[in-house]
Amino acid sequence: MAYLLLSPALLLLLTVLAYPVGWEIWTSFTSYSPLQEGGAGFVGLQNYRQQIEDAQFWRTVTVTVVYTVVTIAAKLTLGLGFALLLSRPFRGRALVFLAVFLPWTYPASVAVMGWYWTLSPPITTAYSAFMGQVKHGVDGALGGGAWVFLTVTLFNIWRGSSFIGVLLLAGINAIPPELFEYALLESKSPWQRFRSVTVPLLKPFLGLGAFLSLTSAFTDVANVWMLTAGRIVFPVLGTQAYWLAIHAGQFGPASALSLLLVPFLLGALLLLFRLFDAPEREAA
Amino acid sequence: MNPRPWWTRLGFSMLVLLVTAYCVFPVYFVLVQSLKSAEEDVAGNPLIVLRPSFENFEELFEAREGSRGFVGAALRRSYPFLDWLGNTLFVFAGTLALTLSLSLAAAYALGRLQPPGFRWWRRAIFATYVIPQTILFVPLYRMVLGLGLDDNLLALLLVYPTMALPFCIWILSAYFQHLPRDIEEAALIEGASRAKAFFQIVLPMSRPVIVAAGIFTLGAAASDFMIASLFLMSGHNQTIPAGLGTMEVALDELAPVAGINLMALPVVLISALFARGYVRGLTAAMVEGS
Repeated sequence: MAYLLLSPALLLLLTVLAYPVGWEIWTSFTSYSPLQEGGAGFVGLQNYRQQIEDAQFWRTVTVTVVYTVVTIAAKLTLGLGFALLLSRPFRGRALVFLAVFLPWTYPASVAVMGWYWTLSPPITTAYSAFMGQVKHGVDGALGGGAWVFLTVTLFNIWRGSSFIGVLLLAGINAIPPELFEYALLESKSPWQRFRSVTVPLLKPFLGLGAFLSLTSAFTDVANVWMLTAGRIVFPVLGTQAYWLAIHAGQFGPASALSLLLVPFLLGALLLLFRLFDAPEREAA
Repeated sequence: MNPRPWWTRLGFSMLVLLVTAYCVFPVYFVLVQSLKSAEEDVAGNPLIVLRPSFENFEELFEAREGSRGFVGAALRRSYPFLDWLGNTLFVFAGTLALTLSLSLAAAYALGRLQPPGFRWWRRAIFATYVIPQTILFVPLYRMVLGLGLDDNLLALLLVYPTMALPFCIWILSAYFQHLPRDIEEAALIEGASRAKAFFQIVLPMSRPVIVAAGIFTLGAAASDFMIASLFLMSGHNQTIPAGLGTMEVALDELAPVAGINLMALPVVLISALFARGYVRGLTAAMVEGS
C-alpha cells in the first residue's frame, strides 16, 4: 500500500533523472562529441584528469567557491535579519512581510531579463549613460566583466535572501515562544541571547537554507548565462560546463566537470541530515 | 510594549524602510519602465513615470496572425503573446496538479504508513537536489526526442514537477508524520475507508502545508527559463519566459518589459494572497523538526 502510493512520484523522478544522470556519468568516461566523426571512444578517467590538470579549471573552481560562499553568507545574514525583524509585532508588519516575500515570488525566469535590461540598458533610455558609467567604473577597478558578475551575485542574493528570510520566519514561529521568554529572564544582553538561544534553535533551518542556496549557487547556469548574455568573463563551474558542451562540443569533459561538483554537494547534504535528524534519533 | 526613546524608534523605522526599499525597488523599477512611452523612456526621469500609458502592453496583444507593424517588418515583429499566455497557464496548472497529487500520495505513504526505512526514502528523494542541472538538459532533450515530445508542452509537465517534488514530499511527509492520529483512527474504527478518512479528515487538516507546497511549486515552475526555451522551438508553443527570450531588444524594447510584468505580477499576486498560508504551512512542517 505504502509503496503503491510512493511509486508514481518515484517513477517520475526516476524517468526524468535516472537516464540523464546515467548518460552524464557514461559520457564523462568517453570522448563523445557531436562534432566528432565516428563513435565515442572509452577514455577512462582522462576527462577528469584533464580537468584537474587544467589551470582554467582551478580558476573556475575559485570563482565558483567565492561566488557560493559570498552569496550564502549574504543570504543567511540578510535572511536571518529579515526573519528577526518580522518575528516581533510592529505597525505595518504585514506589508513589510509581503515586501520581503516579493523577491522570491517574482519569477526568476523573467526577473533575470528585467535585471539584465535594467543593468545593461540599450542606448536609448534615459539612464543608460549613468549605468554605463557605473559599469565602466567597476570594470576599470576590478577588471573586465566584473560588473556583470557583480550583478549576478546581487541578483542571487536579492532573490535568495527573500526565500531564506521567509523560511527562517517560519522556523522562528515553530519554536515555542516560552524558550525566548526564558532567555529574556536569563540574560540582559541581546547579543548573548541571539548567540546562545536564537542561533542554536534555528540551526536546522539555517542548515536547510544554506543547503538550498548551496545547490542553487553551485549549479547556477541559467541566471549567470542570462545576466551576462553569454559573455563569460568570470566562469563558474556551471557556465564553464555549459560552454564546453554547447560551444566546444566537448561533452565528455563537460560531464566530468559537472560531476566533480557532486561529492561536495553530497557532503553538504549529509551534514544537513545530521542537523535535522539528530534530536529525533535521540528521542526515539 | 514599553516606551522607548525616540531615536530607537526612528532607527527602527529607517531599518524597516530600508528593507522594504531593498526588496521592492527592482520590481518597482521594471514596472515603471513598462508604463513609459518611447518618448519618456528616452528623455524622462528613469525613476518615475509622468504620463503612464499602456501602449507597451497593447503592443503585445495587437497584430496577431503574422501581420506586421507598419514601421517596417525588420523593426517590428509581432508575437503570439496570447498563445504564450495560454501555454503558460496550461503548464503551471498541470505542474501544480501533478506535483501536488504525486507528492500528497508519496508523503502520505512516508509520513503516515511509514514503511520500513521511510526516513531514508525521504532523504533519498531529497538528495536529488544535489544533481547539478548544468548540462543535464542535453540527455534530457534526447529523452524528450525519444518520447516524441519535442516542441510539446507535455515535456515541461514531465520536468517541472521533478524540481518541486523533493521539497514538497519533505514538508508534507514531515507534517503528516506529526499530525495527531486519533481523529483519523476514530474514523477508521467507525468504518470509513482509508481513502475516505484521507480526503475528509487528513486533507482538510493539512490545508496550510498544501498551500506551502503549492506556492513552492509555482515558484519553481515560474523560475525556469532554460528548459522552456530549449524544449519549445516554435513560437506558438512557447511559454511566456521562453517567448520573451526570443524578443529583440531594439527600439521597441519596452514591449518585452511589459511582458515581464504581465507574467510576474499575477504570480506575485497569487503568492501574496497565500503568503500567510505559506508561512503557516512551513511552520507546521517544521514544528518538532523532521
